[in-house]
Amino acid sequence: MKKLTVVLLIALVAMTAIFASGSPEASSDSKATKVGFVVINDENDLGYTWNFMNGMTAAVEKLNADGYNVELIVDRGHLEDSTVTDANRELAAQGCAVVFNNSYGFEQFMAPVADEFPEVQFVSLTNCGSQLDGRDNTYNAFAAIYDGRYVAGIVAGMKLNQLIAEGKITADQAIVGYVGAYSFAEVISGMSGYFLGIRSVCPSAKMIVQFVGSWGDPTLEASAAEALIQKGAVMISQHSDTTTPATTAAKYGVFHTGYNTDMTSQAPTASLLSCRINWEPYFYTFIKNVIEGVKNPSDYCGTMANDEVLLTELNTAIAAPGTQEAIDAAIADLTSGKIQVFDTSKFTIGGQTLTSMLAVDSDGDFAADKCEAVWDGVFHESYPEFQSAPYFTGVIDGIEWLNAAY
Amino acid sequence: MSEASRTPLIRLAKRDAMDPRKAMAIRIGSIFLALILGSIPIMLTGANPFKAYGVIVAGSLSKPIYLKQTIKIAIPLLVCSLAIAPCFKMKFWNIGAEGQVTFGAICASYFAIHLGGKVPSPVILLIMAVAAAVGGGLWGFLPGFFKARYNTNETLFTLMMNYIALGIVNWLQGGPWEGRKGTQIVPFFHKSTYLPQIFGVQCGWIIALVLVVIMHIYMTKTKHGYEVAVIGDSLNTARYAGMNVKWIMMRTMILSGAICGIAGFLILAGDNHTINNALSGGVGFTAITVSWLSQLNAFIMIAISALLAIITKGSKTLNQRLGVPSSVADIVSGILLFCMLGCEFFINYRIVFRKKSDKEVNA
Repeated sequence: MKKLTVVLLIALVAMTAIFASGSPEASSDSKATKVGFVVINDENDLGYTWNFMNGMTAAVEKLNADGYNVELIVDRGHLEDSTVTDANRELAAQGCAVVFNNSYGFEQFMAPVADEFPEVQFVSLTNCGSQLDGRDNTYNAFAAIYDGRYVAGIVAGMKLNQLIAEGKITADQAIVGYVGAYSFAEVISGMSGYFLGIRSVCPSAKMIVQFVGSWGDPTLEASAAEALIQKGAVMISQHSDTTTPATTAAKYGVFHTGYNTDMTSQAPTASLLSCRINWEPYFYTFIKNVIEGVKNPSDYCGTMANDEVLLTELNTAIAAPGTQEAIDAAIADLTSGKIQVFDTSKFTIGGQTLTSMLAVDSDGDFAADKCEAVWDGVFHESYPEFQSAPYFTGVIDGIEWLNAAY
Repeated sequence: MSEASRTPLIRLAKRDAMDPRKAMAIRIGSIFLALILGSIPIMLTGANPFKAYGVIVAGSLSKPIYLKQTIKIAIPLLVCSLAIAPCFKMKFWNIGAEGQVTFGAICASYFAIHLGGKVPSPVILLIMAVAAAVGGGLWGFLPGFFKARYNTNETLFTLMMNYIALGIVNWLQGGPWEGRKGTQIVPFFHKSTYLPQIFGVQCGWIIALVLVVIMHIYMTKTKHGYEVAVIGDSLNTARYAGMNVKWIMMRTMILSGAICGIAGFLILAGDNHTINNALSGGVGFTAITVSWLSQLNAFIMIAISALLAIITKGSKTLNQRLGVPSSVADIVSGILLFCMLGCEFFINYRIVFRKKSDKEVNA
C-alpha cells in the first residue's frame, strides 16, 4: 500500500519536473490586449456558442487587421455553476482587460470576481443584472432578435399560404409548432415576435408551444418537435440550441425555421432559414473602446439596422415564391420603424388590447416594477433606456401553451 | 466431452503475493503506457503530447491561482472517496454517493435560504453541516434498509436514488427556490453561509484531512471497522460470529451517506453558494474510482484525489492553451485510470492458456 503511494508520488514529482519546464504559458505578448471569453459548452454545438464564437473570432481578426493587438483566450465547457467564477478569476488574473460571459446563468457567478478586479471589465451577455448592480465594470448586452423572429415568421407564413393555396392544408390547418427551452421572457418574447410575423401574412395561423425544460438537449427537442407534428403542426420553429427540431421536421415532411445557425444543410427539405444575432459589431466596438479608454455603455441592444440581427440565406428550393422580396421589404420596414413587431393593434391578450406592461425589475425581487413599456400603441421590447434583455411575457391569443417549464 | 474442452482456452488464476518490486514496476509501467496511449488522441487533435502533458501539470500546479482550484476540486472527491470506502470494504456496492451528496446539499440549502443572514455565521454553518449529514445519511439509509430487510439489489437502488435527488434539485431550481421566473437559477445564498477560507482555499480541506485520519482509525482500529471487514470477507462468518449483519449494513450506509452529505455541504458552502443540478458534477462517481485505486486506504486516497484533480484542472488549461477539446482530455484521463486499474488486475491475477495436454496447470 505504502509502495503504491511512493510510486505515485514519484511519478507525480517526475511528471512535474519533466513537464513543468516546458513552456506552459501561451505566447505572452506583453503588449497584446488580452480578451477572455467564458462560454457554455463549446462551439461544437453548432448553435448557440458556435454563433458567439464566430462573432468573437471575427471581431478579434478585424481588430488585429485594424492595427489593434488583441489576444483571445477562450474558456470552454462550462455549465452555469461555480466553475464560471473560477474561469473569470483566472482570466482576470492572466491579465485580461475584458472578460465576456455568454450564458444567462453565468452572471451571478461572474459578479463576485468584478469586485476583486475593479480594473477589468466583465460582460454578461443576454442577462440584465449587471447594468443595475451598482458596479462600474459590469455590463450587459443583447440584440433585438424579435425583429429577426418576425421576419422568419413572415417566411413561415408565406409557406403556409402556399400550402393552403395548393390545397395541401386548409386555412384552419395552418398550425405552427414551437419548441421552446423554458417559459422565460427571452423565449416568450421571441416566439411572440415569430407568431406576429406569421399572422401578418397568414391571419388564420395558430401556434402551439411545447417547452422542453432545457436550453439544449437533442433528444428532448426532437421529441417535442415530434409531439407538435402529431398535434397537426405543419411548420416547426425553435428557441433551443440544437438542430434536431429541423431534422425531425424533415423526417415528417413538414417545414421549419431555425435559430442561431443555418440549419438548411442538416435539413435541406425542411429548413427555410434561420435568424441569428451577429455579435461581431458589439465585440469589436467594446474591445476597441477598452483599448482606447472609452467608456462602454452598461447595457447595449444590437439592432437590425446595424446588421446585428441577421437572417441566414433563404432556402430558395423550398421557400414560397416571392419570399426573398418579402424579407427585404420587411427588413427595410423594421429598420425604418414603419412596422413595429409589438404593435398593440395587431394582437390581443385574453381578448384585450395590451395597455400596460412593466419592463424592469429594479429591486431584485424578480418582478418587473418600473418602466412602463406600452405607449403610442406599441409595446417597446428591449427599449434602449430600459434593458436589452427581452421582457415581454404576455400570452398572445392564438398561441397555445401545451405545457410550461420554469 | 473431453477434459480439454472443459478447460477454457484462456482462464484467470489468482496469483500468490507478487514480489513487491515487480508489482511496483508494473504500476510504473502502466502509468507510462497510459501516457503513451494518451498521446495518440492528443496528436490526432494536432497538439504536441509532451507540451500537452506539460500544460496539464503546469496548468494545475504552477501558480497559486491554479493550485487553489486544483485543491478545490480535490476536496469533495477525497471526502466522497472516504465515504464510500467502508461500504466497499463490506462489499456493499454503494454507487449512490452522487445522490447522497446532492440530497445533503438540498437539506443544507433549505436552512441556508431560510436562516441565512438571520443567525450568526458559525451557527448557520453548523446547522447546514448537520442538515447535510442527516440528509445524506437518510439517502444512504434507505438502500441500506431495503438491502438488509428485503435483500434488494443495492447497486440499482443506490443508482436510482441518484436520479431522484437530481430530480428534486431540478424541481427546486425551477420551482419554489427559483429567482427570476423561468431562469432556472436559485439566487446566491446570504454571505453568512460561506465557509471561511484558510490560505485562500475554503477550509473544507482541513475537514477533509481530519476525516482521512478519522476514517483510517475507524476502518483499521475500531470494532465497527473490523465488523465491516468481516462481512466483506464472508457474510456467513460474520453471522456465525453473532454479528448483527443487518444493523451493521444500515449503520455503515448511514455513515457513508452522512459523509457524502458533508461533501455536499463543503461544495455548497465552500464554493458554489447556491444549489443547481451541476453541483455534484459527477464527484460521487469519480470517487468510486478513487476508492478502488486506493484499495480503500484512506491515506492513498489523498494522492489519488490529488492526481485526478490535477488532471481535471490541467485539462481545462489544456483546452484553453492548446485548443485541445476538453473531451480529448477526458479520454486521456480515462486511459490513465483504465491502465492504473488494469495493472492492479494483472498484479492480482494471471492469465493461463490451455495446454495441449489434458493436465491441469497448477497456478
